[in-house]
This record gives sequence, C-alpha cells and structure tokens, in this order.
Amino acid sequence: MNAIHNREEFFTRLYKKAFPVVAKYISRRGGSFDEAKDVFHDTLVIYYEKTVQQALNDDIDETAYLVGIAKHLWLRKFSNDKHAIPLDGVDVPFADEEELSTNRLMRFLTKAGSKCMKLLKSFYYDETPLNEIAETFGFSGVRSATVQKYKCLEKVRETIKQKALHYEDFVE
Amino acid sequence: MKTLWNETRQIELHLSGKANTGDALLFEAQLILDPALRDKVLWQKKTYAIINNYGRAQLKNEIEAVHQKLFTATEYTSFRQKIRRLFKNP
Repeated sequence: MNAIHNREEFFTRLYKKAFPVVAKYISRRGGSFDEAKDVFHDTLVIYYEKTVQQALNDDIDETAYLVGIAKHLWLRKFSNDKHAIPLDGVDVPFADEEELSTNRLMRFLTKAGSKCMKLLKSFYYDETPLNEIAETFGFSGVRSATVQKYKCLEKVRETIKQKALHYEDFVE
Repeated sequence: MKTLWNETRQIELHLSGKANTGDALLFEAQLILDPALRDKVLWQKKTYAIINNYGRAQLKNEIEAVHQKLFTATEYTSFRQKIRRLFKNP
C-alpha cells in the first residue's frame, strides 16, 4: 500500500464507516460520547501507523479491524481487568505518558525548527517516499532530499541536546 | 570524503541495524574509541522518539479537525444524529 495522499479523506471515510459501530459498542457499556471519541482517535492513530508501515494485509476488513482495536483500547482504559491480554503491537504510549519537559521541548521545536520537523516527520513518521518529499519541499531530487534530511536530523539532534541541558527536568 | 551528514547517516544505519557487516564492525570499533560519537548515538535515538511524538501530535490535530467537520458541517447532519442518539440519557 502506498503512502496516504489525502489524510483528511482517509480519516473522513474511516470515521463514517467505523465510528457508528464503535460509538454503539461504547455507549452500550456505559461510556460517554467523549470517551468514545477519545478511544476512536487513538484507534485511528494506531491504524494510520500500521498502514504507513505496511503492516496490514491488503484484503483486511477495515471496519472489523478498527472496531477490534477500539474494543481493546476501551477494555484496557475503562475496565478493572488487569489480566487483559495485550493485542500485539497496540501497546504504544500516548500523550498522557509524555513527560512535561518533552512537551516544552516539542513546543520549542515546533516553533524554531518547523521546516526541519515537518521534513523529518514526513520521512520517519508518515514514511513518505523521498521523491515525493523532494517535490513537496522543493528539493531538486532524491539525493538532495536525502542530504537535507540528514542535515535536519543532525540539527534537531543538537538542538535537543542543548535544550536538554537547559531543562533540568529533561533527564531519563 | 567524510561529511557530517554522513556520520549522522552512519548512526542511523547503526541504530536501525541496516549497516552491512563490515561497516557495522567498523562503526562499533569507532564507538569504543570515540565518546563523542557515543553521545551522538544516544541523542539521535532520543531524536527519533521525539519525531515520532511530534508526528503523533500532528496527526491527532488532523483527526480532531475531521471530527469537528463531521460534527458541525450540514452535509453530515444525519451521521451526527445517528451518533448523538446513542448517547441519549437512559
């Protein structure tokens, strides 16, 4: 499967297909609209990541898969059952597990290194092919995009290191 | 020619385990000899984690925008009503 070209279209389609089923499931178990929304958003993040990583079969039943992830997340989030079996690959940390200092750093990087962060996100998170990155970011070709990617990676790495020394709480 | 971005690339290959055997051995020898390089490897690893968090945060904003669209735009009224009905008080 190729990179997702239009994420708005992609999420709108998934929302219309799967959210009614997820909302019904959660409402029947006493969950609120906001809880259903939160669970569904995390579900979409997981599904998106699996899609760009090409970790899914092409013939997968999309709705059934989304509902499966959502049920798992709901059970984990709101049940007291500590013995729930984790669904393979779904145990990814979300915002509430992020540290305060990481948020500060993130805000700084979003403002100060915006172009580099967008480029790096496009390559590493969205797994966009380099020729598309070159086109989007206005580089002459794949080679130039590759060089720029590493330069950005280095720049951001050094920024993180410097900032970490200033933010005393940023220690792991 | 050894450029700085090339070193960054080598660190990436090392961390992803994609370097070929010869390069991997050479890099590991360099790591033993060069504390500054070890430091860079450590920070580069953190950088990937931060890029991932950044990507997730941006994606969540995009999903929220889609949610807002579906729960405000006129063309999705029936979808919205279908969902709202599920959460009416018992």
